[in-house]
This record gives sequence, C-alpha cells and structure tokens, in this order.
Amino acid sequence: MQEITSLFQIAKILRELLGRFLPDEQLVDFCMSLINIGAIFMIISLTAVVLVYAERKVSAFMQRRSGPNRVGPKGTLQSVADMIKLMAKEDIMPTGADKWMWMLAPMLLFIPAAAVFVVFPFDDKAIFADLNIGIFYFIAISAQSVLPFLMAGWASNNKYSLVGGMRTVAQMLSYEVPMVLSILGIVMLVGSMRMSSIVAAQEQVWFIFLQPIAFVVYVITATAEINRAPFDLVEGESELVAGPFTEYTGMRWALFFLAEYANLLAVSAIATTLFLGGWNGPWFPGWVWFFLKVGGMIFLFMWFRWTFPRLRIDQLMAFGWKMLLPLALVNVIVTGIGMYIYNFFS
Amino acid sequence: MVKTETYTLNMGPQHPSTHGVLQVVLELDGELVIQAVPHMGYLHRGIEKLAESRTYAQFIPYTDRLDYVSSMGNNWGYCQTVEKLMGITVPERAEYLRIIMTELNRIASHLIFMGSLAIDLGASTGMMFGFRSRERILDLFDMACGARQTYSYIRFGGVSADIPPEFIPELERFLADFPAMLAEYHELLTGNEILYHRLKGTGVISGQRALEIGLTGPALRASGVAYDIRKVEPYGIYDHFDFSVPLGQVGDCWDRYIVRMEEMKQSASIARQALDQMPEGQVMAKIPKVIKPPVGDVYHSIENPRGELGFYIVSDGSTKPYRLHVRRPSFINLQVLNETCQGLLIGDVVAVLATLDSLMGEVDC
Amino acid sequence: MLGRGLLKGMRVTLKSFFNKKETLQYPEKKLPMPARFRGGELDLDTKKCIACGLCSMACPNHVIELTTGTNEAKKRYLKSYVYHSGLCLYCNFCVEACPTNAICWDKNYENSRYFQEDLDVDCLAIAEQKDTLKGRDDG
Repeated sequence: MQEITSLFQIAKILRELLGRFLPDEQLVDFCMSLINIGAIFMIISLTAVVLVYAERKVSAFMQRRSGPNRVGPKGTLQSVADMIKLMAKEDIMPTGADKWMWMLAPMLLFIPAAAVFVVFPFDDKAIFADLNIGIFYFIAISAQSVLPFLMAGWASNNKYSLVGGMRTVAQMLSYEVPMVLSILGIVMLVGSMRMSSIVAAQEQVWFIFLQPIAFVVYVITATAEINRAPFDLVEGESELVAGPFTEYTGMRWALFFLAEYANLLAVSAIATTLFLGGWNGPWFPGWVWFFLKVGGMIFLFMWFRWTFPRLRIDQLMAFGWKMLLPLALVNVIVTGIGMYIYNFFS
Repeated sequence: MVKTETYTLNMGPQHPSTHGVLQVVLELDGELVIQAVPHMGYLHRGIEKLAESRTYAQFIPYTDRLDYVSSMGNNWGYCQTVEKLMGITVPERAEYLRIIMTELNRIASHLIFMGSLAIDLGASTGMMFGFRSRERILDLFDMACGARQTYSYIRFGGVSADIPPEFIPELERFLADFPAMLAEYHELLTGNEILYHRLKGTGVISGQRALEIGLTGPALRASGVAYDIRKVEPYGIYDHFDFSVPLGQVGDCWDRYIVRMEEMKQSASIARQALDQMPEGQVMAKIPKVIKPPVGDVYHSIENPRGELGFYIVSDGSTKPYRLHVRRPSFINLQVLNETCQGLLIGDVVAVLATLDSLMGEVDC
Repeated sequence: MLGRGLLKGMRVTLKSFFNKKETLQYPEKKLPMPARFRGGELDLDTKKCIACGLCSMACPNHVIELTTGTNEAKKRYLKSYVYHSGLCLYCNFCVEACPTNAICWDKNYENSRYFQEDLDVDCLAIAEQKDTLKGRDDG
C-alpha cells in the first residue's frame, strides 16, 4: 500500500501527465517546482487555519468547556470567521512609529517561517530540496526570526513593545545555543546533515530512544523559540498586554499570528524528523505517519501551554544558560563516547 | 562611565491583571522596579457619604457592594455594628446560618484569589477550575436568598429568610465534594515547580513591618503574626467551633498563597460543624419597626476574607447615621505595595499584587 | 525527581481533557432559576395593592415612584406606579415590605433595552393590559 499511495508515485503520475502536454523536459521540471511551491503554501495556510481551531478546542477541553461550536459544523469554520473579521478591521498606525520598519516586521517574520518548509521530508523522496546541509539550513533560517520582534518592538514607539522586544531577543538568542547542541547529537549519530539520511537512519529504532536527553532539551528550547507558554513572557498578556504586537491590528496582527503557528508546525516537523522516525511506519503511506507524528508533537506543545504558568525573565535566562546548555554539552560528550565504544566493539 | 536613566511605565487602569481599576505607575531601570506607586480612586462611588442620607436598614444593600466578592461578610459586619449599638440579641439558628454563609463566602473569595493568581501568572486553566467550584457555592446562595453576588441576606436581628429545604442536601453534597476539588488544585498549582519559583522568596513583608503598617488578614498571618479576630475576639458564636488558623513563616508570596489555600480547608470544616450543630428555631429577633439607635458611637470589626473589616458609626439619635466610616482591609493592605515591590522585576509586581488580594470596590469605597 | 510537579499538573489537565464539559448551550438550553431569584422587573398585582406606599419608602434608591388618590368610598387607590429599573439595586426590600404581597419579581432576566427611557417601567399599565387580556380570554 505504501508503494501505491506514496507521494513519489503521485509525483510520477503528475509528471507523466504534464509530459504529454508540454514539449520540453525542462518545462516539465519548472511546472513541477511551481506545483511543489503551491502545495507547500497550501500546507502552511491550511495548517494555520486548522491549528487556530485546534488550539481553541484543546484549550477548551482541558478547561472543561466546549470551545467554538456555533460557526459551521462543530465550529470548524471559526477560523474563517476570524480571518474575515481581521481583514475588515481598521488599519491604525501609531504616530511617531518608524513607518517602514513597523510595516516590514510582520512580513519579515512570516518569510523565515515559510522558508524552512523546503527541507521537510514529508515522504520517501518527497522533499522540495534535499540539501546536503538540510538541518543546518533550518537552524540558520529560523534564527532570522529574532530580528522582526525587535523591529516591531522598537518601531512601535511604545514602552510596552520595547520591553517586549528586548525580552524576545534575550530569550530567543539564549535558547538557540542549547537547541543547536541538542541537534548536534543527532548529526553525530547519522554522520550527515541531509534530512533524508537522518530519516533513513531511523528505520530500525527511533532516535528518541537513543538520545532521550537531547529530545527533552529540544522540546524545551523549541517551546522557547516559538514563544509559547511557559516561555511566553514576550507576549505575557497579564504583564505587558501584548509585547511587541501591541500596536498591530487587523491583517498585520493576523500575519504575526500565522507566523507563530507556522513556526509551531515547523518545530514539530523537525522534532518528528529528528527524533520520531520521520515518515517511517508500517501499513500506511509515509505522509500519513508524518502528519500523525506531527499532530502528536503539536498536542504536546498545546498541553504545555494550558498547564504551566509563565517563567520570569531572570529565571528563564538562568534556566537556559545554567541548566540546558550544560545538559546539551554533556549529551554531546556522552554520544561521542558511546559511538566510539560501539565502533570499538563491532 | 555609561549613564543610564530610569523610565516610567504605566500599568494603567485598564490592565488585564490589576484586579480592577488600579493604576500602578512603575519607575523602572531596565526590568528592575525602583518605585511602584499605586493610584486609586477610579471606582470611588461615595458610599460613606451616601450612608448619611439612607436609613440604617436601607444601607444594607450598599455594604454588599464594598467588597463585592465577600458580600455576606460585609453585611454581617455592618449588622453586628448596629446590633452592638442597639443591644439586639440574635437567635441561635440565625447565628449558625450566618456562620455557614460567611464561611462559604470565604471559600468563594479565596477561590477567586486562586483563579486570578493562576491567570496572572499564565496558567489560565487554574482560573477555570477555581471558578467552576465557585459556581456550586453561588448556586447555594442563589437558593437561599435569590442573588449570586450581592446578597443582603444578613439583616438586623438575624437573617432575612430561613433556608429552603433543598439547601441542606445540596450543601452536604458540596462539602463532600470539596476535599477532592481542593486536592485537584493542589496537584495543578501547588505542586508546580514553576509556580513555586515564581512565588517563593518574592515580596517579603516582615511581621514587624506588617504590624507597623496595619496589614490584616491572610497577608498578616503569612508574615507569622497569629492575629485572627475569630480567635482573638470571637464574634457571633465562633467560640463554639474547633478550627485552626494557618500561619506562614517568611511572609513572601508563597506563604500568602498557602495560607489562603489552608484557610479554605478550615472554612469547610467550620461549615460542616455548624451544619451538624444547627438547632431549629426562629431566624429573626423582635426588633423595633423603625431603627433609631441611641446617641453615641461604636466601632466593630470582623474577619473578612481580605482582612479586618470594621464599621465605625456615629449616631445622633435619628433614623439616619450622622457619620459612617468603613475600615476597609484592601485599602490599608495596598499601602505596602510600593515598599514591597522595590528591587523586584515587573513579573513580581504582578505576583505581589495578586497575593495581596486587593479588591478595588473595597479600596475605593 | 526534578519536574515531578510539572508532570502531575499535566496529568490533571489530561484527565480534564476527557471529562464531561460544563458548557450550557445558551440560548437553546436555559438554566432554571431558583424560586427566590431576584431579577427582571416588578410584577404588580393591582387587585392586591392597597396603595400604602411602603414599597417606595423601603427602597434605598428612590426607584419606585407612585401616586395615589382617594375615591368616593374614602379608599385609597393607585394612580400611577413607575419602576425605574436602571436605578434598582435588586435588594428585595420592596417585595419584603409589601403587606399584601402585591409585587413580586417576574424573573425575566433577558430585559435589556436600546434606549434609556425604556428602562422606566410603567407597572400599572402592564398590569392593566394583562387584566384586559385575561378578561378577554375569560369572557
């Protein structure tokens, strides 16, 4: 069954179809790339819409409420109603705001969130670009999402936003380092940074069993990178109203929101690829397993958000630098020693 | 040398976590608080002045609206003050009913404290859980007097009406379910390491300073001073019940949180004992139709969930008070905000404000 | 173990995830109000009212405005009865003060209005309208 419905087969069918209408081989390749880009954008937008609804339902169920259940069957069209409402809102710009920086910040936040999707292995040979520096590309591009927060915070001409922007930079930069080190353990085990080789190396045993500490460190740092509770003091609603996003309304705020959910999908996909075996799995096609595992990780992140209170800024910095960084370093050392002993005995 | 400057941040009257309309003007150096000056008065309604143009009985609904979360306590304090001035004795059954209602109200008020603390620190699930339990208590009150928040149930000489027959089984059900609910909250909030580290060690008020500034209620007991009016000068029939008063050691936010959680357990035990001991009988004494207290003044205070609520009435012999002053615990407890917050971070200001548990209706009167 | 409290908290929320939901689907389902519920507008029974004015005197906030007159048989009757619902504290003093139980709450809590003038309820007119309707039904 995996052979018939895998994405590779679907791509082959599409390619044959196009080959019949288009004369040139390169034109067919170009059209396939456009279809791939379209598919990825569709996944991102669909995800944002679905995740908004899922977040509200999960949070409601955990608080013994029902969540949205009026708009559409069981409330599924709630996100559509929200988008329409946001598009109809008045666009206000604060006086004294630095116009171009203020307007560019949401867009610059959305672009890295979308650009990392090219290296995700949705299925066997179904990656848009199987770069040989796959995971390194992800780390580099996702580090770019620090700057738009600072831009938004500074350009809004608002003290709350500035404090929020400063906190964001401190938080996101401090948690990049342990995240990279936790990923380093995986790269050492596989010997390559290519995403498809990482998934292929997990055919027998998933890396979560070989690198449990790295998994824990990754999950914690990923929560900090995407600014979700318990690390959401950037937009800590009860302290700073909304941090860097305070002055954004309507569609601009919707872009921030979408970028946040795209980021959530991105880190869940990376966690699935690195630790949970990617698209490996019996009976079902690869992409079904991929999305099931990604869904499980997303539920885990939502579970964290609705259970835990927020950390204070100094506790957050202390935790990142004094607890997670040494833990990640120790993991790298232990992995190295373990690999040497394994190679020595086999 | 780099020259730094402090900046002023306004946690304005409209803010998700100032428990009402309170403005706190923060002077910050980076994230460190140099000054935290509260500005109140946004909810001032002139209740003390209104009292001078209402008869004594007509003022009872206004006392409901002081600390609107613990209305039974406010009613009781005012009624006991006037009864003290006029020398009225209350029948036994009414005394027991008053105690049951006030202790249930204490549980409801502390549940609001717990919910607001949880949501201010980011754990919004805690708020939903707390308010869900509070609904059961409000349903009980709805059954007894028809209102959910501003009761006017306790009147001069007793209570306004006897409890309906379905009240006691429902109360027994609630008291049976309550320990399990409290255990759930302890598992969700008290055991949580993040909450512990947020609250432990921040906002320390020493016992000596608390006494100097006039702090009362759970905030005072968390600082180690064992002063609970129900034990020191028992009013009503509190001396018939066996309960303990939880004390803290250090006086930080964590102690103030734990003291209130323990007080809820004690209140449930008092309500249980009162339900068991309650006799049959009248619920209202024979009082004159027109309340005209003798000339003189009186001060009487009770232990409200937020502290010592006191009423000072000056009577000139007519049907309306000459002067009525309310000693409001939230108002006096709020003074300590500035000195406690100096040297803390912004996040701690929110925690201190939540654990001081000031209600703006009472602060502004 | 470090973090055990966090895991216990997570177990509480997960258990809550599968529990029964507390939401009431209003307005399809409405909660029944208890018998002593104080809410809505005052419902005046003109047959029981003796125009004593005790309700107006008991009210802390001058919410009830009534005028009375004496007819030929030297009996007092009610000329007008206006209830300013916007000023009302819902304290129940008027209902308790009435010696004949002529007023009670109509328990209809869905009574918001668009204009401030509509908050002044003419209870006498409503009572008379109800009487004429009942008369038409009976006769």
